[in-house]
Amino acid sequence: MLTAAALCPAPPLLARELTGADPVVPELRQACLDAATDLLHSDPDVIAVVGAGEQTRAFGARGRLDLAAYAPALALGRLDGNWPAEHDGGAPDGGGALLPLPLGLGCRLLDQAGYAGRLALHTVSDQASAADCAALGARIAGPAARVALLVMADGSARRGLKAPGYLDERSLPFDASVAEAIRAGDMAALLALDAGLAGDLMATGRPAWQVLAGALDGPRPASMIRYSDDPFGVAYLVATLWPQHEAMPT
Amino acid sequence: MTDRLAPAAQQSVLRLGNRAFPPGQPIVMGIVNRTPDSFFRPAVTWDEAAAMDRVHQVIADGADIVDVGGIPAAPGAEVDVAEEIRRTASFIGAIRSAYPNVVISADTWRHETGRAACEAGADLLNDSWGGYDPLLAEVAAELGAGLVCSHAGRQSPRTRPFRVAYGDVMADVLEHVQSLAARALAAGVQGDRIVIDAAHDFGKNTWHSLEVTRRLAEMTATGFPVLVSLSNKDFVGETLNLPPEQRLPGTLAATAICAWHGARIFRVHQVAESRQVVEMVSAIRGDRPPARAVRGLA
Repeated sequence: MLTAAALCPAPPLLARELTGADPVVPELRQACLDAATDLLHSDPDVIAVVGAGEQTRAFGARGRLDLAAYAPALALGRLDGNWPAEHDGGAPDGGGALLPLPLGLGCRLLDQAGYAGRLALHTVSDQASAADCAALGARIAGPAARVALLVMADGSARRGLKAPGYLDERSLPFDASVAEAIRAGDMAALLALDAGLAGDLMATGRPAWQVLAGALDGPRPASMIRYSDDPFGVAYLVATLWPQHEAMPT
Repeated sequence: MTDRLAPAAQQSVLRLGNRAFPPGQPIVMGIVNRTPDSFFRPAVTWDEAAAMDRVHQVIADGADIVDVGGIPAAPGAEVDVAEEIRRTASFIGAIRSAYPNVVISADTWRHETGRAACEAGADLLNDSWGGYDPLLAEVAAELGAGLVCSHAGRQSPRTRPFRVAYGDVMADVLEHVQSLAARALAAGVQGDRIVIDAAHDFGKNTWHSLEVTRRLAEMTATGFPVLVSLSNKDFVGETLNLPPEQRLPGTLAATAICAWHGARIFRVHQVAESRQVVEMVSAIRGDRPPARAVRGLA
């Protein structure tokens, strides 16, 4: 039974260390933390984290986020004395296998929100069909236990001339349709997203959104959008959704 | 030459005035000469108002330390103790009044001047002449100041090198600065306020200064914070065959090498440019993060 779902983007810069001395996007990090905190407040027995990956598979909960892959200097261990005061600590749970970025960032968000309970980590293949994604979502939400879902998913990376993928004007209506589906709780609209178009637009979150839709199958959920912007040409959407049988906090 | 970085763990916090500088944080010392005859831009800050304008500028440009000197390094008109104090002490007092927290350094070898400078507000005694006056360390100890222990090839102050030769110049530098540091400690100077300096061009020809630059990691490996004073000096000028006003690129190249080897204090004329170089090298070393990294991370 799903208690709540949170939607966050998964850019590397969500990790505070990676942007250097300047926090750059503190409001984005705060919105993600708030959304993760919503999941804790939904009193789950387990939190599932889902992000797009090369294949659909589960990961062990003791995995490790390798930020040094993005910033090799972090591995030198020399930055500590010269780090800004708001630096928020290292990667979660060293020692385990490497986690894909969306799962590692999701685990870190939950850790920062103060969650120390059970985790279930899944990647969903970027080749997976909408039906397969929805089926995975239904399986995740299906158990008798109270399950909260953290979906790490990004919109188009082609939202401007300086965007990572350069400008594709189709990105604007595409991302707007995703945001509207989340706002309205219209899961059918998420399942109807065109995977080919999403690929063209570098919208890597497509399969994860469709897992979300499968997990929230049924009456339209309530939602709260906490952040929706594209400061670097990539659409970041942060939101929390509550199934109708769960009370949305006031 | 070693191409290995000196481990930062061997360095510790440096205290100057009421500031504490962790290892890996480059410290820029802006030069303010109270002289009519220094080699670089002579007399530009001989006038006290011009000198205070220069202080405002170096601090605005990012200097952590203001280094005030009343005597040029080169031979020339005699400047006695009274005149040196007249040129520097009240000016140091004026800086202290304007900037309660900036670190002020007095560039002097004389203990009488050092005492007057500290009483006026100086935090660091920058002796480029290799401990010529042993009482300077006693003054630093008594007044709680820091002390720069430098190597000048045992030359007397304000003398030029004349056919100097070393079996191993870096070995001589290391032996001398560490013996001065030991003397300072014995005199009671606080250990976390002692700095060492090879003193480029002091008792050294250009080949020697290039050698100590190349091998600066041997100094940082001692664990003492290393100061380098390279700015527009003759070893840069002779290396590139350029007059003082055209030595900035060469100075910055030497600055980058010393920063790479772990030098922590950079005594400079051009503060803004030097600050950029040492912060860039600090990030390359992995001591400091970039100011703002977004490229490829969105």
